[in-house]
Amino acid sequence: MTDISKEAIAPPRSFLSQDAIQLFYRLLAALLICAVLAVLSDSFLSLGNILNVLRQASLTFFIASGLTLVVLTAGLDLSVGANVALSACIAGTVIHKTGSPALGILTGLACGGIVGLLNGIMVTALRIPSFIATYGMLWVLNGLTYWYMAGETLHGFPAGFRQIGSGYLFGLPIPVYLLLVFLGIGTLFAQRTIWGQEIYAIGANPVAARLSGIPVARRLLLVYAVSGTMAGLASIIFLSRLNSAEADIGESLTLPAIAAVLIGGTSLFGGVGTVFGTFIGALILTLVLNGMNLLSVSANWQPLVTGIIVILAVWLDMKTRRRAQ
Amino acid sequence: MKLTLGYSTCSFALPLLMAAAFTTGARADGETIAVFTKNQTNPFFQTVRVGADNMAKSLNAKTLQYIPTKPDSIPEQLSQIEDVVVKKPSAIVFTPVDYKAMVPGVEKINEAKIPVVNITDRSAGGKFLSFVGADDYSLGLETARFLLKTLGGKGNIVIIEGVKGSLTNVDRVRGFNDAIKENPGAKLLASQPGNYQRLQALQVMENLMQSNSQIDGVLAANDAMAVGAIEALDGANRKAQVIGINGTKEAIDAIKSGKLLASGDYNGFAQGCLGTMMAIRSLRNQPVISEIVLKPTVITKDNYQPFDVPLEQRTCPTFEDAGKLGAK
Repeated sequence: MTDISKEAIAPPRSFLSQDAIQLFYRLLAALLICAVLAVLSDSFLSLGNILNVLRQASLTFFIASGLTLVVLTAGLDLSVGANVALSACIAGTVIHKTGSPALGILTGLACGGIVGLLNGIMVTALRIPSFIATYGMLWVLNGLTYWYMAGETLHGFPAGFRQIGSGYLFGLPIPVYLLLVFLGIGTLFAQRTIWGQEIYAIGANPVAARLSGIPVARRLLLVYAVSGTMAGLASIIFLSRLNSAEADIGESLTLPAIAAVLIGGTSLFGGVGTVFGTFIGALILTLVLNGMNLLSVSANWQPLVTGIIVILAVWLDMKTRRRAQ
Repeated sequence: MKLTLGYSTCSFALPLLMAAAFTTGARADGETIAVFTKNQTNPFFQTVRVGADNMAKSLNAKTLQYIPTKPDSIPEQLSQIEDVVVKKPSAIVFTPVDYKAMVPGVEKINEAKIPVVNITDRSAGGKFLSFVGADDYSLGLETARFLLKTLGGKGNIVIIEGVKGSLTNVDRVRGFNDAIKENPGAKLLASQPGNYQRLQALQVMENLMQSNSQIDGVLAANDAMAVGAIEALDGANRKAQVIGINGTKEAIDAIKSGKLLASGDYNGFAQGCLGTMMAIRSLRNQPVISEIVLKPTVITKDNYQPFDVPLEQRTCPTFEDAGKLGAK
C-alpha cells in the first residue's frame, strides 16, 4: 500500500501558506529592531554597517541552515560548533602543510560531512535519539580537537584564501554572496523538491512518512550529512575570515545557531519552519549585538538584553502561530 | 627583561638535590605532584603545564595533570579533587576553575592533609602553603600605559573586554581604565565584551568602526581578541595600535611582524615552574616563599626574543630568581 498520496501528508507549501504569514511576522520583528536602532544610532543605517551585519550573520546562518533541516525532522544537532572547530583545525593544517587552499577547503567540507554522516548513522542505524547522539559527538569532537591542537593555535593563511571570508566582489563581502546562494538553495530544496517535502513529512509524522513509502533512514542520513557539511563550510569561512583556528572556537557557535533556527520559527517538534526564517533568526541575533556595540551598551547588560530578545521572539512567534491556526 | 632565564637547569638542580639529600630525613625525590589547570583550550595553561613538568623533571619528581574535559567546568574539577584525594599525591599545585566556587574543593584537599600550592587565580578560601600568580591589574595598567606612551598620551581608545565578571577580566580592564585616566588627552570611545573569543572581538571591532571614524588604540584583555581586532582593522584598511595580554606564540609572531604593538606576559611558564618548586620544596622541608606575585613584563618589538623560544626549550627560574621576580 504505497499509493497513499504524499500530498495528504505533506501538502506542497505555497508561498502564501501559514509559513508565509509566520515569515511576515518575523521580518516585521527584524524591521522593528532595525527601526529602533536607526533612531538611536546615526551609523546604523550606513551601507557599511548593513553589509557588516549581513557578513556577521552569514557565519551563524551557514551553521544554522543545515541545522534547520535537522530540526525539521524533529531532531537536533548539538555537535555543529564542535564540528566547525575540528574541521577548521584540520583544514587549516592541510593548507599549512600542502600550501593548497583548494585541498584545505575540500578537507574541511569532507571532515564536516563525515561527522554529519556519523551523526546520521547513530540516529538511523543505532536509533540513538539525536539529542544524545550529537551530544556524545560533541564530546568526541572536542576531545579530538583538544588532543590534536594541544593548546596551540593555527594562524597565517595565504592571501587568496583569506579573500573568501574577508574579500569583496563588486562592493559586497564575499560571505554575503555565499549567504544568498545557500539561502536560495536551502529554500528551493526545502519548499520545491520532493526530498524537501519528504523531510517536512518525516518531521510531522515519521510513522505516516514511513508508511507512505518515504525512505526515512536515507533522508535522515542526508539531513545530518548536510548539517555537517554546512558546519564544514562555516569552518572554512571562519578560517579565512579570522586567519586562525584554535580548539575552543566551537563553544560560542552552537547555541547561537540553535537560537537562530528557533527564533526563525522552526519548531523543535519538527515539520514546521523554513530556511528563510532561520536567516531572519540569524539576522535578529546579529542585529541585537551590532546595535548594542553601536550604542555602547555596557558589557554587563548585553547577555541580559540578548536573552530577553530571544525569549520575546519565540514567545511572539508562538502567539502569532496560535492565532494563525 | 625581568625574567632571568640564564641559569641552566643542571647547575640549579644538583645543589638542590644534594641539599635535600644531606638535610633532614625527608624523601629526596620521586614525589608525585598533581597539577590542576582550568582547561585544555587556552594556550596559557599549556605553558603552565610545561613549566610544571619542566621543574618536576629537574627535581626528579613526577606530575599528574588534571584538566577538566569541559573547559572551566566547576563540577568536573570538583570530582577530580575527589579522585585526587583518594589517590593521595605527595602535593597539589592548584588553579581553581572558579576562585569562589572551588573553595569547598580546596577544603577537601585540606582535610585530606595534602599540601597544596595555589597558582594563577587566587582562591577565595582554603589553606595554601604558597601562592604564585601574576597581577592582572598591573598587567592591564602597564600594557595600556605602553600603548598610550606610543600614542603620545592622546587618541581615541577602545577596550575589548573578556568574560564579564571573571577575575582576570575585572582587574585587567580596571588597569586599562586607570592608564587611560592618567592621560587627559586620551578618550575612551567604548568598552565592549569580546568574551575572550577572537570571532566576537572581530565582530565587535567591525561594529565599533562603523560608529567611530577614528580609533587610535585598542586594548584587548587577551591575545586572541587582540588578533581578532587586528583582522577587523585590516579588513577595513584601517590602522590602530593594538595590545593584548598573555604573551602567546601567536602574539609574539604578530609583534615580530609589526601587527601587534605589545602583549603583557602573564608568565604561565614561570607560574608552573615556581608553583611546582614550592610544592616540592615544602615536601623536602626546605623554605618556601609564601607569596609570589610576578611583576608584569610588556613584550614589545624590542624584547620579544626570549619569548620566541619553544616552550620545551625554556628554563625555569631558580629559587633565588623567584625572590627577585616578585616575592612579597
